[in-house]
Amino acid sequence: MFDRGTGEDPSTFLTVLARAEPGRIKAMAERVLPELGAVEVLASRTGLVMLPLRDTVKGVDFFLGEVLVAEARIAAAGTEGYGMVTGRDLEQAMAMAVLDAARSLGLPGVAEFVRDEAAVQAASDDARLRRVEATRVDMETF
Amino acid sequence: MAYVATRGGARAIEQAERLYREELGTIDAGRVQGLRDALPWLIDRVMGEASLYDADLAALALAQSGGDLYEAVLLLRAWRTTQPRLAIAAPVLQEDLFTHRRISAAFKDIPGGQILGPTLDYAHRLLATDVLGGADFVPVPVEPAPCAAPSQQPSLAAWQKTMGLVADPPRVDVAGDDIPDVTRQPLLFPAARAHSLQSLARADTGGVLALGYAAMRGYGNAHPTVNELRLAEAEVMVRHPSGVSFSAGRVKVSQAEVTSKGKSGQLELGFCATFGWNEVKVIAGATLDLNAPGAEKGSAVEEEFVLYHTEPVESSGFCIHFKLPHYVTFQSALDAMRGAAVTELAKDEVTV
Repeated sequence: MFDRGTGEDPSTFLTVLARAEPGRIKAMAERVLPELGAVEVLASRTGLVMLPLRDTVKGVDFFLGEVLVAEARIAAAGTEGYGMVTGRDLEQAMAMAVLDAARSLGLPGVAEFVRDEAAVQAASDDARLRRVEATRVDMETF
Repeated sequence: MAYVATRGGARAIEQAERLYREELGTIDAGRVQGLRDALPWLIDRVMGEASLYDADLAALALAQSGGDLYEAVLLLRAWRTTQPRLAIAAPVLQEDLFTHRRISAAFKDIPGGQILGPTLDYAHRLLATDVLGGADFVPVPVEPAPCAAPSQQPSLAAWQKTMGLVADPPRVDVAGDDIPDVTRQPLLFPAARAHSLQSLARADTGGVLALGYAAMRGYGNAHPTVNELRLAEAEVMVRHPSGVSFSAGRVKVSQAEVTSKGKSGQLELGFCATFGWNEVKVIAGATLDLNAPGAEKGSAVEEEFVLYHTEPVESSGFCIHFKLPHYVTFQSALDAMRGAAVTELAKDEVTV
């Protein structure tokens, strides 16, 4: 789940977009927007996503709580785009929706953007996990 | 309980609120951002008790309440009701968590090893008073390992189940829409396990600790050992309109299992999880989960007692309502006292 690869499969593509740095994804969406022509905003709102978690003792799913998300849905150039990100940044969700629509239209630059963001996210995870690894207990000297 | 309508306090009420807010001063985005950056563990605690995950809103609630946790949680719980429910994410599984810390006090050599992660468990607790004299406290940087830790760590409970150390009850798949939800259904007893664990997830940290500590000290049925403690991030897996599943982002979660030797000859486990990183709450909560089966009615570890008394908004709200005018009920009590005194006096006079 955490190996983003190059972001080429649809699930990874969307996951990388949702976690993309807000400033960069908004800038990328601004660049792509003229290619889409007239854009109809079907939804732009904040709301809640219930997050269930599975209890490890009896395997029961229960709600841990609600996560605030921003959601956007657009129609443009005969296709639709969708974005959902944690938080309340409607512009970030809209930028994701724009790039989702751009991808389905095969517009240039989007795949490269996602590939670059995937690399940034993988590097960030790697840096964190190397710091986490530094706290591993060597039981021989425990 | 009786209530009576009164008037005459409107100006006092308005000025009292102004006095409260005046002392907190101007709240701007910088203050909120500063709180968010400086107090991540407090933000986590507030998000867990509010049952609403958004660090910016939690920081704002703290700024607006001046750090009064119950006020902050109330603000967030109230704000949450203004938002529509958009989706139900896929269930988070322990083995999928992006794990930052994962330890066991019960087993030394656990699959995946012991990863301490960010902790002060083995640190000296020294107040850095030099900071007040103008000397900055600059933390010593971590020396990263050459290789990264695995992002996911295996489930210790799953390993124990394969070894026959703990029971492995068959599980039933429940659709997201059918998961019991205490925000939409009354909490009835005996509670559904989903209600019980959800209530613990959003419970007051201090309340859970007080009751969990009581169980640890002997007012319960089982003494806990931490089977596994995990601080991690969970992906919020939602669906694109096309049906493709993707993560809308990560949220911090804590989970703990505690264990004790059961009567069946197997280990028994208790479980608790919450939003944010809050070790005390999940260890105490898991202890209460472990102790709940068979607990005596009204005891400190009995499910109904625990869940009713650790709900932060209800318990704090009920507590502070006692400072609001109770003139009629109190006057009634006074009248009863005076009446009893008069009756007693009359009896004495007859006796004489």
